[in-house]
Amino acid sequence: MTPASLPNWLDPEQWLPNTESTDKNAIRSAILSENPTERELALMLSPAAGEFLELMAQRAQAITRRHFGRTISLYTPLYLSNFCNGGCLYCGIAGDRRAKRAVLDETQLRHEMQAIQKMHFEELVLLTGERMPEADVPYLRDSIAVAAEYIHNVNIEVFPMAESEYRTLAEAGCTGMTVYQETYDQTVYEKMHRWGDKRDFFSRLNAPDRALRGGLRTVGIGALLGLADPKFDMLCVYRHAKYLQKNYWQAGVSVSFPRIRPQLGGFAADHPVDEKMLAQFIFALRICLPEIPLVLSTREAPRVRDGMAGLGISKMSIASKTTVGGYSGDSEESTEQFSISDERNIPEFCNMLCAKGLEPVFKNWDSTYRDPAHYEKP
Amino acid sequence: MSDTLKIGDQELNSRLFLGTGKFSSSQAMIEAVKASGSELVTVALRRFNRAQAEDDLYGPLAELGNVRLMPNTSGAINAKEAVRAALLGRELSKSRIVKLEIHPNPHHLLPDPIETYEAAIELVKQDFLVLPYIPADPVLAKRLEDVGCAAVMPLGAAIGTGKGLSTADMIKIIVRDANIPVVVDAGLRAPSEAAAALEMGCDAVLVNSAIAVAENPAGMGAAFKIGVEAGRAARLAGLMPTSEVAMASSPLTSFLSSND
Repeated sequence: MTPASLPNWLDPEQWLPNTESTDKNAIRSAILSENPTERELALMLSPAAGEFLELMAQRAQAITRRHFGRTISLYTPLYLSNFCNGGCLYCGIAGDRRAKRAVLDETQLRHEMQAIQKMHFEELVLLTGERMPEADVPYLRDSIAVAAEYIHNVNIEVFPMAESEYRTLAEAGCTGMTVYQETYDQTVYEKMHRWGDKRDFFSRLNAPDRALRGGLRTVGIGALLGLADPKFDMLCVYRHAKYLQKNYWQAGVSVSFPRIRPQLGGFAADHPVDEKMLAQFIFALRICLPEIPLVLSTREAPRVRDGMAGLGISKMSIASKTTVGGYSGDSEESTEQFSISDERNIPEFCNMLCAKGLEPVFKNWDSTYRDPAHYEKP
Repeated sequence: MSDTLKIGDQELNSRLFLGTGKFSSSQAMIEAVKASGSELVTVALRRFNRAQAEDDLYGPLAELGNVRLMPNTSGAINAKEAVRAALLGRELSKSRIVKLEIHPNPHHLLPDPIETYEAAIELVKQDFLVLPYIPADPVLAKRLEDVGCAAVMPLGAAIGTGKGLSTADMIKIIVRDANIPVVVDAGLRAPSEAAAALEMGCDAVLVNSAIAVAENPAGMGAAFKIGVEAGRAARLAGLMPTSEVAMASSPLTSFLSSND
């Protein structure tokens, strides 16, 4: 079956030739452009632009500083459940993996929240696998309500759902959601997602729309770098972000850069993205999306995270546990979704930021604002 | 001669207000506030941290005796949320001054005039000294004065852009028509721009990014202090009028009044 074509607002076809450009003057002008568009982004994504990494870094740092100041926002993920029937080829908790499965009950969740609260976090992302009886929408709703008793800003990174379901979660105190398209290349997408709800490319693509219409305030998007041609995926991420900004003018949009680490066993990336390419993509997106939070997780090694903090990146996770019950340690051992590379604790990480002249910001939002948002006129 | 700035029942000797976000540490922020001589600083309620974590801004500021805190409602996307934030801010800071700030778009942070107007009416009723952050719109400024705001704070340019007084023409109209203090908020990059705002008759300026993001924030705070003082002194001294044509310094028509 030939995949349906990408909608006009997303399709980056016309700019793809620029991602192979070797015209150094054009690349240099793109980096220094005051009003970059797809054309300039494509040039900055080209392999030839790798030569201008330092110039891109300087631009990215200046822009980040202007918009976010000398600060880095911090958050932490919390795995509610790793039950999953998904068929993602690259995932450690896919349905056909022999994984130890666990789901937090309310008492365990409260223990986790107490541990997270002691660490002073005020922003949290709750995670699950695909939609399962063990972790469905009513379970999420109740978990969000419990988490919101402890901290200000509760977000989700779960399965795509209906607008009305997002509204239920917004009413329970959820402020935002993250859903990575994984890849915007439909042929690769179909190969990577072997069965289940996730095979529906467009349902996933439109999940941020449904979430915002359902009353969430922020959406995070991204591509899992390594699955398909990353230049294509980065152009799509940019166009997706611009589309969301235009159509939901009150929504907060953020972009993350999850990457399949070449050195981790199990799944080999067809299009490996090394550290220099990752940095180049982050700089390029920062130059083209000056006002949008760019996020880097503990998947990346301390050296890369320390270097990228403030160079485009404005938000980071820390002290992450990717197992269910990982914070309080009172749950049975479960399989992690992916291995984290930065295992530092909060004081170690904050000391690093302070030494770089960056203030760690734990709280940047208040629960007094916790009403479902209304993006459309009633 | 004393030249205090009166905003409602508040009297201030410094015409430089500071924002407290974007600094590399609370220590850097405190040093900049001290160097700037500012007596009024604004703190976002969303940054107030009950847990007293490393990023708490209220604690260190409260220790500065001569500095008044003005909570702001940044993060609110509508009037209802801003009113709730203001009430919570008053409870925490014990200050009835509020910087009313409603920017529903989290990317450019430009103020929503409609929600701001509605929130201002409610907050004035609830006995706040309301300082709304607004687009540089002379009509909106008068509407807010009419409903009882203590001052208006038009933007010079969008927050964090450092584009200076790009709305100068509108700000001049606001100043000309206002019976309440006018404070330029947002967009300023250089002390010379702060001086220009005071020269054009603004009563004060509020600066954050330009100081927080400078290589030496305390040094930049001190520089803005001088800029504001210079601009104010020039305004009081009376600037010579500008003209498109040259003016002879000796009058050409003096012969008409001579009796010879």
